[in-house]
Amino acid sequence: MIDALAYSVIALAGVAVIWGIVTAIANKPPGKAQLVYAAALEIVTLGQSIIAVAKIIGGFRPVELATTIGYLIGIVILIPIAWFWANVERDRFSGIVLAVAALAVFAMTLRLLVLWTPAG
Amino acid sequence: MSGVRAKPTGSTLKTNSGAGRVLVAIYGIFALAATARASVQLITRFEEAPLAYLLSALAGLIYIVATITLARGTRGSRRLAFVAIIIELIGVITVGTLSVVDPEAFPRATLWSIYGIGYGFVPLVLPILGLALLWHTRPVNP
Repeated sequence: MIDALAYSVIALAGVAVIWGIVTAIANKPPGKAQLVYAAALEIVTLGQSIIAVAKIIGGFRPVELATTIGYLIGIVILIPIAWFWANVERDRFSGIVLAVAALAVFAMTLRLLVLWTPAG
Repeated sequence: MSGVRAKPTGSTLKTNSGAGRVLVAIYGIFALAATARASVQLITRFEEAPLAYLLSALAGLIYIVATITLARGTRGSRRLAFVAIIIELIGVITVGTLSVVDPEAFPRATLWSIYGIGYGFVPLVLPILGLALLWHTRPVNP
């Protein structure tokens, strides 16, 4: 894990959460910019997981290895699935669906920062 | 929200439409979280706390069933969703209470420990919202 990258993911995800809530309150489906933003969040998240997995392959051993790998894989599938599910029916709740997924990415990255502690 | 059900045609509300989709999304995340957590626990340290870890696996299974059935939203899947969510509610209350009363019995945290405190108590609220969704979208002419 690179701290700066993790904090970027946390910040980007936080904005995605707020954006989703704002469009829902405005009673609008997510606009194109919002969907592109979600895609950008996914790319940064994916980059973070790839770098972290590379570090593990390179010899880094977090205390909870299996849990850490689970988080690194799980975190990258949330936004794509939420994207699909948000667009099945485009209404105010589409934004909330994206916000829920972004909140999970937010929380999981915070947890990853804690998990990323070298073993013994 | 209100007014929609007043339509004489009825049954236009579905568990996989509108606000229901948000609940499906949350259920999906918990299906992933519980299943992944149980897999790690069962594979790496099953012998430490078999009961707690099997309960984690059960929770994962219930969340998967609830996610799929609510997302389908057909009449048959609604029935299955109802059963899954009732088990979920009983599970979180039972495990939550046991973990408070007798922490020794649950030496390892499960998703439902202390009513899901590790997940912002969402596991406790989720089945209530699930039942509310099923009630709110119930068919007008059964």
